[in-house]
Amino acid sequence: MTSLLSRFKTGAAGDAKAASKDAQKKKEEPPPELTPLEKMLQNAGPVREDGSDKFYGLENFGNTCYCNSMVQALYYTTVFRENVLNYPPLSPSETPEGFKPKVNVVVRAPQAENGTANQANGKKALTTAEVLARRKQINSGQVIPATQQGIRPEDKPDTPEYKKKQAMLKGPILELTQENPGAYGMDECTFTGLRDIFMTLVEANTRTGVLSPQRFLEIFKRDNEMFRNSMHQDAHEFYGLVLNDVISNVERNAKRLMEQESKHANDGLLRSLESAFSHTVMPTSNGVNSPGTGWVHDIFEGVLTSETKCLTCETTSQRDETFLDLSIDLEEHSSVTSCLQKFSAEEMLCERNKFHCDHCGGLQEAEKRMKIKRLPKVLALHLKRFKYTEDYSRLQKLFHRVVYPYELRMFNTTEDAEDPDRLYELYAVIVHIGGNAYHGHYVSVIKTEDRGWLLFDDEMVEPVDKHYVRNFFGDKPGMACAYVLLYQETTFEKVRAQQEAEGLEEVRIASEKADVATEENGLGGLANGLTRQVSQPNAIPIDDRETMTRLAHASTAPGMVISSPPPPLPTPLNQVESSSVLARSLTAKPDPKSKEEKKEAKAAEKAKKAAEKEEQKSKDKQKKEHEVQLREARKAEAENLKKALEESKKATEEGPRRPKRHQGQAFPQEPWAFEPHKAGEQVHV
Amino acid sequence: MFVLPPPPRYPTQAAYNAAVAAGQATPMIETNNILTTPEEQFLVGEGTYVLKEDLHLATPPPHPSEAPVINPNPLATTPQPATAGTKVSLLSFAVRPPPPAFYRLTSATALSASIAEHPNESRESQNAKLSSDGEGQSASFSDGGPSTSVTAVSAPAFGEGNASLAPEKTKDANKRRKPKNNMTKSNSSFISRVIINESFTKKLADRPGDGLFAFANINRAFQWLDLSSPNKADYLTKILFTKAHCLCHAVNKVTKGPGHLDLIMGFSTGEIIWWEPISQRYTRLNKNGIINKTPVSEIQWIPGSENHFMAAHMDGSLIVYDKEKEDAAFNPQEEEETVDGEGETSARVVDHLSRIQILKSVHSKNQKTNPVAIWKLSNQRINAFAFSPDNRHLAVVSEDGTMRIIDYLKELLLNIFNAYFGGLSCVCWSPDGKYVVTGGQDDLISIWCPSERSLIARCRGHQSWVTSVAFDPWRCDERNYRFGSVGEDCRLCLWDFNVGMLHRPKAASVRHRGSISSRTTNLQRAETQGTTASRIRSNSGYSGFEGAEDDIQSISVPVEPRSMTATIPPVLTKKADKDPLCWLEFTDESIMTSSKTGHLRTWKRPSDNPGPAE
Repeated sequence: MTSLLSRFKTGAAGDAKAASKDAQKKKEEPPPELTPLEKMLQNAGPVREDGSDKFYGLENFGNTCYCNSMVQALYYTTVFRENVLNYPPLSPSETPEGFKPKVNVVVRAPQAENGTANQANGKKALTTAEVLARRKQINSGQVIPATQQGIRPEDKPDTPEYKKKQAMLKGPILELTQENPGAYGMDECTFTGLRDIFMTLVEANTRTGVLSPQRFLEIFKRDNEMFRNSMHQDAHEFYGLVLNDVISNVERNAKRLMEQESKHANDGLLRSLESAFSHTVMPTSNGVNSPGTGWVHDIFEGVLTSETKCLTCETTSQRDETFLDLSIDLEEHSSVTSCLQKFSAEEMLCERNKFHCDHCGGLQEAEKRMKIKRLPKVLALHLKRFKYTEDYSRLQKLFHRVVYPYELRMFNTTEDAEDPDRLYELYAVIVHIGGNAYHGHYVSVIKTEDRGWLLFDDEMVEPVDKHYVRNFFGDKPGMACAYVLLYQETTFEKVRAQQEAEGLEEVRIASEKADVATEENGLGGLANGLTRQVSQPNAIPIDDRETMTRLAHASTAPGMVISSPPPPLPTPLNQVESSSVLARSLTAKPDPKSKEEKKEAKAAEKAKKAAEKEEQKSKDKQKKEHEVQLREARKAEAENLKKALEESKKATEEGPRRPKRHQGQAFPQEPWAFEPHKAGEQVHV
Repeated sequence: MFVLPPPPRYPTQAAYNAAVAAGQATPMIETNNILTTPEEQFLVGEGTYVLKEDLHLATPPPHPSEAPVINPNPLATTPQPATAGTKVSLLSFAVRPPPPAFYRLTSATALSASIAEHPNESRESQNAKLSSDGEGQSASFSDGGPSTSVTAVSAPAFGEGNASLAPEKTKDANKRRKPKNNMTKSNSSFISRVIINESFTKKLADRPGDGLFAFANINRAFQWLDLSSPNKADYLTKILFTKAHCLCHAVNKVTKGPGHLDLIMGFSTGEIIWWEPISQRYTRLNKNGIINKTPVSEIQWIPGSENHFMAAHMDGSLIVYDKEKEDAAFNPQEEEETVDGEGETSARVVDHLSRIQILKSVHSKNQKTNPVAIWKLSNQRINAFAFSPDNRHLAVVSEDGTMRIIDYLKELLLNIFNAYFGGLSCVCWSPDGKYVVTGGQDDLISIWCPSERSLIARCRGHQSWVTSVAFDPWRCDERNYRFGSVGEDCRLCLWDFNVGMLHRPKAASVRHRGSISSRTTNLQRAETQGTTASRIRSNSGYSGFEGAEDDIQSISVPVEPRSMTATIPPVLTKKADKDPLCWLEFTDESIMTSSKTGHLRTWKRPSDNPGPAE
């Protein structure tokens, strides 16, 4: 899969024009589908400055998913991202007239669907129409005919491979391949590489796309020898190394600045006056004493205390050590909370492992306990899923079922710990998929600030339901297990407010119901709440029933008719069809199993159809009126689009190109809302 | 009787489990229940509990219409049906002596009837006695049948005073209404198959009158077992549903009798089935989710009611249904018009931390159709709820980690208690109604005292999430309490706490909650039951609700820091099964546990006479 992706790369770097031509050609076809993520982000308003609403996939260069999953998690560690972006603090002298260091971003043209790269592959990529047709086949349970044998996984709609390929096709692809020496006054290092990535994302003018973190990996591999191969690597190890690199990079820079400053100070009266002046203006601008240097520690570092009690003289000695993450041993059928407590279990130091007691002077038997003295802001928990077994003399993966809660407090703090009841919330799960430590894949499931949980799988980003997070306890088929859990400090009030908001959003949507028909963009709010994929059918809003009726209403609204088809529906929609298709999906298909069932289903279908017709009639009238409006609206929109495209072309010679996002609104459909009722729907008992 | 061919011989359940675990397509066959007697035991202060038997209830394979997943994509975002492991309920028609310790304590008080509810065997005796005394007070149910409303002797009936809720009069008071449809002849696509034991009638006729029935839901199957039968592995009836998973069920204790049982089941599709097992008739409620589409996580009959039951839907609403009423699409706006003067319903956005949002009140005049009442507690899913022994209060636990105490008769939220962290998954009341015990995702069991609005203690001993808690009324008296818990860690824990221990001075006494603690110290624990019950309402309940703004705040009881809370260790922790456990219950003879994979285990109590715990 990765090799395929790298093959795409070779092609159309320069033929953006060709791509846009192709895009125009495609107009006759059904428009490209919106991904669930794009649907969620529709009408999201202006792009924010702080980068909290950038949802980019990261390109995989062959087994670099360990990096991608971790970098994503770090990016959405808000406090870390902000600090990275604000470091090094720039003194006024370094930033004349608001000069900002630029990142060397190259925007690679999105792969044209009929572009050379694919032709080189010998096969044309699927068009949207083909995709829909194929999905229909798959959904209806048909086996794909033999003539189509040898379908590559990325050509099968709805597979991760397909989605990743689509992400690459859609773009924009922001490439970070070139050296960026001397940026931020620092040598190129892991930190600058990471900062470049963050900077690029923040400055990107679209919310979605793909970023190619090539340069970062090059630097990281340069500095870390063991990652200099294309093997499967350990994401936790990577996490540790990146943080340590960042710490040492920042420290080195701080030292350098300090030396510089002392040099400055000796540079004569005039200069010193000047610097004194600048100091009063920007007291924390630079220098090792500025609070800027310790921020990595502040975020991730905690302090462990090992209390050792000599059993001979009963003296207790303490030793503190810092940690960036906690590696915890796992037990079958346990919880992370309990595994964390085991971590603090008493340990006997005896026999060959005796303790040297300063008090009694000599090796003595002792009791040792590890406790947490200072809780970090971000608590990284490494679940030790890979265990060395003598029998196989290799690392085996443990598929223990270890449950993890959304919120957490630590039980094993020392008496004098500050805020021992600190509340943490889970915000990132790094998932390892695979049978052992040497192979597999990493993805991350991350809670974003205001867009809920998202699944980041290399190039692909997809919104998921909150309950999806619980799929990685380790006991589900598919060998996907949580490997690193990131918890961040929060407060009880925040958690409550969030929980309330989760449902309030639904209430708001419901109350907006009335306005939907009149407001052209009113569906945006709807999309927010409803496109989320649900892994368990339990987040359904209270008035789902209302939602459904609203759906039927909305089909006549101008906003949605230009829509591209919702993914779960097998048939391509056009204007006229859309409402009937929706209606059909409301009356789920009968289960063609037994004859009686069929009969009943037919009867029910008839009744439903009659009812639909009635409704349809009244709607048809409305629809005609709307159609006129629609045509107008579409014209205007097309023009706007053209203008926007031209403008963006001019404006962003260098910067990332705006995607040719389809302006229409996809209709938020929830396949799950209907599915569970398929069986029961038709029968009047 | 409708006789199906005998079930074919199948490979073992183990093969099925292995296939599921390996992520392979599961074999499309059904397995039989298997009864084994592995040797296991555990020792507690009172003696040795011995594993009597392990009845493995077969987990049904997916319905043939569902395409087998050959190569599951672990990242697939497609919906999965909600499952709830194996939930069991026990039932006996017989008059059994109530727990001795308890009987001594409460025999004189009005509460006894409701306390005895926990060991449900003793219900009938109370019912019979009380109703013959003519003590059934409730007007609305007085002509419903011989044993109605007696459980609620100390509390008014639910929805009392609402004339539109009164049941229709039947000519023969003893004749119970049956559901509409015949299950065995049904061609509903909701029900896939109904298998009735070949000698169903004979078995029912021959069984001992005091024998235990067990009802169990396992994924899409529902089984009715006779635990007093020599071959208890043979179910009396087994229902296989097509796609929906049965998540919970409940038997009506008021209407039960050798000739009639009212059983309700809640499904992952939000639908509910009212089933009468003896005549094999059923009715579907909330059909196609017309009232609420979210899965039903817990369902229970309203104490003392023949017809009304409460279902907790996973969107955070509690809905009261009438088993005999038709469904009607529910529109909160319409309801607002019929119930005027209720400010709460008109507010679309309600602060769920201070009140319950009454979408439809039980006092609504519009009671021709279901739902009888809808209350929205929060936007988070409700995991479980329990009625207090005095039938006045409801304890509801949710995924957001709250435990709400609700006066369900008055539709008032009295208090919100908060878990240490994570969601709460189970709840139960102490037999005397003084304490509520919850278990959750913090691996803890918390003991609360609703009347004092306080956390009594946290119990640490489980190594994973707690899934079920229950009191052992045979080992409780006025000062000592015994309860058990099971969890995802496959462990059974037993806990003891007593009043003296809880009065132990702790750091908490210095906390800045003067008003509460000063009040509570005045109240003696030795008070009689009746006053405790009234105290719950008079002290914390109404004063908190009717008061000003600052009182609304006090509805929510803040999380206690760890350093200020008493911690209780278990008197026993025992790995009671190979798989995560999901249910436990105490009977006079044993402790029963069930696991997610369907193992129903019976742990016999110590053979010597179990006296009250000291």
